[in-house]
Amino acid sequence: MADRHTDLIVASAPHVVAPADTARIMRDVVIALIPALAVSTYVFGARALLLTAVCAVFSVFFEWVTRKILKRSNTIGDWSAVVTGVILAFNLPVGIPLWMAVIGCFIAIVVVKQLFGGLGQNFANPAIVGRIALFIGFAGPMANWAITPRMSQAILSVAEQDAITGATPLAISAAGGTVPTNLEMFLGLINGSMGEISAAALLLGGIYLIVRKVISPAIPVAFLGTVAVLSLVFGLDPIFQLCAGGVMLGAIFMATDYVTSPITTPGRIIFGIGCGIFTMLIRVYASYPEGVSFAILLMNILTPHIDRLTRRKVFKPAEGGAK
Amino acid sequence: MKNNKLKILTNGIIRENPVLVLVLGTCPTLAISTQAINGLGMGISVLVVLTCSNIMISALKRIIPDTVRIPCYIVVIATFVTMVQLVLKAFVPALDKALGVYIPLIVVNCIILGRAEAFASKNSVVDSMLDGIGMGLGYMLTATVMACIRELLGNGTIFGKVITAGTITPFTIMIMAPGGFFVFGVLIAVVNKLTKGKVAEKCQNKCLGCPGAAFCSEVQKEGGEEA
Amino acid sequence: MGLSRHLKGVHVKHSKNTAGMPIIPMPVPERVYIPMVQHIGAPCTPVVKVGDTVKVGQLIGNSDQRISAPVHSSVSGTVEAITQGMTQYGRVDTSVVIKSDGKQELLDTVLPPEINSLEDFVKAVRNSGIVGLGGAGFPMSGKVNIKPGEVDVLVINGAECEPYITVDHAVMLSYTQDIIDGIRAVMKWLEIPQCHIGIESNKPDAIARFNELLAGDPAIKVHTLRQIYPQGAERVIIYETTGRIVSYGMIPWNVGCIVMNVTSVMKLQHFLRTGLPMVSRCMTVDGNVVLHPQNVDVPIGTPISDVLEFCGLKEEPKKILLGGPMMGRAVPRDDFAIVKANNAILCFNEAFAQQRKETACINCGRCVAGCPMGLMPAKISRAFKDKDIEALKELNVLYCMDCGSCSYSCPARKQLNFEIKQAKALVMEAKK
Repeated sequence: MADRHTDLIVASAPHVVAPADTARIMRDVVIALIPALAVSTYVFGARALLLTAVCAVFSVFFEWVTRKILKRSNTIGDWSAVVTGVILAFNLPVGIPLWMAVIGCFIAIVVVKQLFGGLGQNFANPAIVGRIALFIGFAGPMANWAITPRMSQAILSVAEQDAITGATPLAISAAGGTVPTNLEMFLGLINGSMGEISAAALLLGGIYLIVRKVISPAIPVAFLGTVAVLSLVFGLDPIFQLCAGGVMLGAIFMATDYVTSPITTPGRIIFGIGCGIFTMLIRVYASYPEGVSFAILLMNILTPHIDRLTRRKVFKPAEGGAK
Repeated sequence: MKNNKLKILTNGIIRENPVLVLVLGTCPTLAISTQAINGLGMGISVLVVLTCSNIMISALKRIIPDTVRIPCYIVVIATFVTMVQLVLKAFVPALDKALGVYIPLIVVNCIILGRAEAFASKNSVVDSMLDGIGMGLGYMLTATVMACIRELLGNGTIFGKVITAGTITPFTIMIMAPGGFFVFGVLIAVVNKLTKGKVAEKCQNKCLGCPGAAFCSEVQKEGGEEA
Repeated sequence: MGLSRHLKGVHVKHSKNTAGMPIIPMPVPERVYIPMVQHIGAPCTPVVKVGDTVKVGQLIGNSDQRISAPVHSSVSGTVEAITQGMTQYGRVDTSVVIKSDGKQELLDTVLPPEINSLEDFVKAVRNSGIVGLGGAGFPMSGKVNIKPGEVDVLVINGAECEPYITVDHAVMLSYTQDIIDGIRAVMKWLEIPQCHIGIESNKPDAIARFNELLAGDPAIKVHTLRQIYPQGAERVIIYETTGRIVSYGMIPWNVGCIVMNVTSVMKLQHFLRTGLPMVSRCMTVDGNVVLHPQNVDVPIGTPISDVLEFCGLKEEPKKILLGGPMMGRAVPRDDFAIVKANNAILCFNEAFAQQRKETACINCGRCVAGCPMGLMPAKISRAFKDKDIEALKELNVLYCMDCGSCSYSCPARKQLNFEIKQAKALVMEAKK
């Protein structure tokens, strides 16, 4: 008789799991943000790195402290706070006082994320609410597009003098000024929030995420497609509209946040189209030059309803078509 | 007995704070607590109206027919509100202007109607007066504290006195609606912590505070006499 | 209208380490413990007594119920005991313990059955004791007990979508002609005009063998299925090969289909040729602690530990699965007897077996994208947490066929399939 093996581990099937877990997915998002961070550092100088580091560190710190105070399990290992922090930093002007950025982290992590129950429970994207709270609360510093010494070098070497007015291309456009060329817009040699400037770098990150199957292309494609189509409808330059402001950052990294976007592909397409419509409506008709974050926030709130309307079709014969 | 009276008086301040525990009258609280002076002014107005109306309604409780008691309460409350508003207009017109429609709206304020219905109509005049003062103080404190916090964070001042200006950029969102809800939520959490959640347990029939309680079958089923 | 041409699924690492290995017969064990319940349906009653001498192929348990399968001795020897004890299904069932004399003498009445009519054929299938060998264990006699014309398609399942398992593949390579003969016999007696064989594209050699031997037979078509789990699930393979939908509350017969596993058909053909009933089965033995992963032919009733001893172990196993890692069952001990429906024994070490820590659902939608039945496991999980039976019904929870794709793909490591199983029980209970 062979050796007896008793006390074996019994568990419910399946007994194997896919390699991707939450932490790996979040790490992939951070990796995908690196090209954009590199361009920002090139354009704005070391302060871009500092701002990103401060936001990431304080987001993780706030997450850890809140979980500790609420006596809940520690979740900083899932990297989601890092992602929130970095994306929030990308949404801020590079010259913002660091303590304001920390307040943004507090709102994002504590108010929006942990007070609603932590990862998976927040109704809106924490980074977006953090940005909007800062945008409304500190209207002045949040619209302070001062030119850093590094920036004047980086941009002056390529772009024309006109581009350097200390304002974002969308603001210049709204004021009727001369905007940078489309190539400069695409590469990111422009002024703007820290991480949103380079469409090329953000697209690179987006492609990485799609290849790694972290995000499905549904939301970005629907979002960017709608912005392009509506630009033509309003008689604007679609390439300028796609590369300006936070559209690329929003479409690829913020609208695709799993927690606050619909779960099915049709739902994601509706979500993306909605984001695109609201963005363009705000840009064209509202008093703000940029509307990406408001558009995504609005669609975040609609997500449960979209989910309800776009259930997947269950495996059963079509009505009347049953054999 | 004396202890009991003291308890009625202090009940409203923290343990059964009308705004933070009973969650009544939140609309005017959120709306006016943008400046400390507004919070204090509104608080005093409510304190006066609540105390007077509680005394009057308790005194009239045997005369008021049960079926038309809500209109009667409103008439009583409206009388005091009008008096308060006339006083404000005469002596502090700036405050009256700042508070605007929220002073006349005290007439239908949940706290006042609620206390009339839940307390004054069932208790003696002295008890009702103490309850009115306690609840009024509770409201005043809450409104003032909320307003101070919001004014400080959102504008860098308290009672118009410059505190942080020049050192810290004010966080304007705090004197807007989201900031109001945020401070409100934080204060509720603090009171919950102070009372260790006992209140929520004890106030099982807290919907008695609701002016609609008389028409609410749930409350009648439970026998609303306990309050 | 609505449903896409292919059903969704998940990409699971194949880990088919034993691919291409022949099937090696295992030496006769000292004792066999033959359970009277090895199938879905009525249990059998022992027809032998303690002390009886039995030979290979001798009937030792039978039942007169419609859905059942007789049990035969897998060794020659003496009946040592008739016991009540826990079987691998976690129930207490009767088992017949037979001490082998090592001679493996064949019962002299084992002769090829004489078949002249459908009735004869159904009776022969019943006597063979064959059950669905893909893992479900539904008696084959229950499937073929039909009137001619009711069924127009025979679906042969050679998908083998579970990781590790290669035994169907081995059977398809070694017994291709037998499978084809078996298919033709079933088609002949049940008057089924066409047959679809579904094989996943990771077995091109098996597909080529079939195409070669079928030589363009128009009645039998070989389908190359996509490599995506769960192609081998009954409902999925019927849809992928015929386009017919076997929904919740239906059986393949409702849409004119019969599904048989390739190994079942091979066993049936052997019975028709020799008359030897189901006394052994071939299975894959693999896993990261198995010294010599291989495909072995094991007498029914052999304890798991004997099979593991034969194949060798590198280290102490911490998890033993009967069946594949996606749908197989983990057993608490290794002294359970092998039954007809077991197609694999997989042994794993502690590192593999460790429970993964569950974290919060992040709404990523991987479970929704991977569900072949079109369900939304993340939403079901939430409704189950609230014990919201109405919501569970609205989410069609009963359509789940427990393939495990949702749990597999969940990055939060939530045991969605386990929750859905409990949710189904909840809904069923509420229906009563």
